[in-house]
This record gives sequence, structure tokens and C-alpha cells, in this order.
Amino acid sequence: MTDTKNHSGGATGSPKDRVFQPTSFSELAEAVELAFDYRGDVTVALKSGESLSGYLFNRQVSGPGSYIELFPSDSSQARQIRYDQIATIAFTGEDTATGKSWENWIAKKDSERRAETARVAADAKARGIM
Amino acid sequence: MAIVMKYVLVQKLSGVKRYPLVLMLEPLFRCNLACAGCGKIQYPDHVLDKRLTPEQCWAAAEECGAPIVSIPGGEPMIHPEMPTIVRGLVAQQRYTYLCTNAILMERKLDEYQPSKFLTFSVHMDGLKEEHDLAVCRDGVYDVAVRAIKAALKRGYRVTTNTTLFDDANPERVRKFFDAMMELGVEGMMISPGYSYQKAPDQQHFLKRERTRELFSRILGNPKKGWQFNQSPLFLDFLMGRREYQCTPWGNPTYNVFRWQKPCYLLQEGYAKTFRELMESTEWDHYGTGRNEKCADCMVHCGYEPSAVEDTFGTMSGFGRTVKLTVLPTSR
Repeated sequence: MTDTKNHSGGATGSPKDRVFQPTSFSELAEAVELAFDYRGDVTVALKSGESLSGYLFNRQVSGPGSYIELFPSDSSQARQIRYDQIATIAFTGEDTATGKSWENWIAKKDSERRAETARVAADAKARGIM
Repeated sequence: MAIVMKYVLVQKLSGVKRYPLVLMLEPLFRCNLACAGCGKIQYPDHVLDKRLTPEQCWAAAEECGAPIVSIPGGEPMIHPEMPTIVRGLVAQQRYTYLCTNAILMERKLDEYQPSKFLTFSVHMDGLKEEHDLAVCRDGVYDVAVRAIKAALKRGYRVTTNTTLFDDANPERVRKFFDAMMELGVEGMMISPGYSYQKAPDQQHFLKRERTRELFSRILGNPKKGWQFNQSPLFLDFLMGRREYQCTPWGNPTYNVFRWQKPCYLLQEGYAKTFRELMESTEWDHYGTGRNEKCADCMVHCGYEPSAVEDTFGTMSGFGRTVKLTVLPTSR
């Protein structure tokens, strides 16, 4: 598949910022699997010219009827998109699972941990869930 | 738990091979903690802001028919309609376990009514030092203890749920059990930590041999007062005294993405209906020795239903369950 960024995967192995332009069904299926495993938003460009940004939460692979399901970031309704409508998939959103390992947490300086804890607590307070 | 026993016996007498025991209902993924080992909350904000409605929750419970509903998340008490959701599940006479980190619990207690069908299952990963470290925030242990005391005083059923990781100190865990029983909780639930497929922390979870060793040291000489709110055969399994294969359909998971395939921990896709989940999931592809993702898993959501099946499906299982229930220290 055509990946518009020469990306080695980096230290985290995250596909963040990669853009896939599949040229076959198997390449598309591969890109969809990556997007399904990705804990961030992707932008799906359709052959119709429409572009959708959101979280790809499901896919159903069954030949010509294959489709993905995506929660658009600006809508509460899930969208179902057939594979054959997809032109590109870009990993545009932040990978929310990156850099949050236990080891990272322990390795941080006490001051950094306290700052991060305070940030999470402040966010929860701002949302009224503390 | 006559309702649960009756349910299991009816399934067995009806020849139902695969039946759900506990619905894992995740009405939201948003949490007010950000624990390093948790793989449930790493989503974009717009996904974290999604909520199941009470009607969706009740329909999911009816659709799968499980007699027990466990409500994890995210932190369920963040959901503004959680008291309504719980009331509906209690009205359906389902044993409902509201799994909470207890940060909001004391403040929101009055929104719930004590019932034999409602239990607050408070997340406690150890004594103060271990728990606050596990949840990445100081002071949460003390908040939880205060909430447990307040709930017990008002007549609610309270249990604890504990996940143990590979750095657990058996002696400290035993002291933690003592502390929880002294608080007056009805029972404790324990499970080994196992890597969520998408959890950021993949190195800290327990391997199978280490799990058996750890749980043998913790549970091998149980104290008389300890009460566990789970199958004694599952505890045997954790100690390596019984072998089980996974029963992933035993604890089906429903969340904002619908029915999760195949289990609470793995996310291989989603089904639109419970029936589709049961009929389209290739169950034989999952479990120890069948799938490398399942290799080290001994988690309650897959293996506690196996233990229950053993109790009601074999004479030895039934006999041992009765023995350990009557004489827990005979282990």
C-alpha cells in the first residue's frame, strides 16, 4: 500500500500521522485493521470526495459487502462505510494509548508524577466528575 | 443466590451449551482516574463523552438474560443516569454490582436505595500505599474507605474488587484482606491483572505460572474471617489446583460500541445483537492453548464462569464447592 510518510514506526510503534492509500482490497483490509487497533481518531477520505474524521470502532470483512463503522468526532450517530468507498485512511488524531505505560509512570520524577496527577484531577474537576 | 442457581440449573436442564452468567455493562468509558494499567479509557474525548441510555442498558440485560450484571467502565458513577439504570436492573431482579473507585460514592449514596439486588463493588488494589500507587493518585484509598463505611452504615451491600499485578506482596495482600474484612465488607473479589489488548502497560501483567505461585502464597492458608464473593473453585484455579478452559461467553460485554467480541478483555469486533455475538463468534479460537492472546489469561471474566460450570456440571466440582463454602479454611 502507498504510505505517504516514510515512517519507521518510531519508538512507540504508533501509526500516528501515517496516511494510507491502498491499491488493493488486501492493502485496504490491512489499513483498516491498523485503524481498528488505533486508539485515536482517523480521517477517512471517500472516493466521493467526502472526508470523515472520527473513531473507527468496528469493521466487518465479508468480500464486497465489507464495511467499517466509525463514530464521527462531530456527530453522535455512527456511520457505516463500505470498503469500496474508501480512498485513503489517515491516522490524524492523538494516539491516546501512547506513552502511558506503568514503567513510564514509575520512571517519572516525583514532581512530574505529581504534575500529571494534578492535571488529571483538574480535568476531572472541570468536567464535574470529582 | 437462589435466582442464580435456578438460572444455571434451567440452562443445564434445557441443554443450553453456552449461556451468559454475568453481563459486563459498560455505560461509559470516561473515568475520573487515569490508572497506568487500565486499557479501558484510552479513547478520544468524543468517545469518552458517549453514554449508554438507561433504555439501552435495560434492553441489553433483557436481551442476554444473565442473572448478574456487573457495571464497570470508566467510572459508572459519573453517568448522570446511573441511579435510573440501577433501579431498572434491580426491578428486573438482576444482581447488580456497581463497580466504582468510590471517589463520588459517598456524595451520591442517597441517589440509590439499598436492595439485596444492589452491591457497591469498590475497586481496592491493596492497602493505602499499594492502592494509591495503582490508581496514580494519593488519597484515593482513604476516600474509598470513608465511602465504604458510609455505605455500610446506611445498609447497602458492599464488596471489594482487587486486581493483583506481578509486583504484589503476598503478606501485604493478606493484611489488606484483614483490613477489608475489619471494615465490614460482605466479601472480596480478586483477579490477576491481565493485559487488555489495547492497554498501554503490557509488561506489568501476570504470567500463568507466576499467577499460580502468587495466589497460592496469598490463599494457601486462608484466615477464618475472610469472605470471597466468588466461586471457591475459581480460587482453586488461581492457585493451580484445578484446570479450566476459558468460558468467554460467560461474561458478555456490552458498551457504546455494542456487543464486544469475544470477551471483556479482547476487542476483535462488535456484534449488533447478543444473538449475533453468540452465533458469529468463533468461540473455539479463544482460550488457553488456542490463541496466543489468551496464553497467560486467568482472569475472572473468562474463568469464573468455567468454575461455576464445574460446580453444576460435575460431582467433584459440586462436592468441593460445598466443602469450601462450609469450611473455607479447609483449602
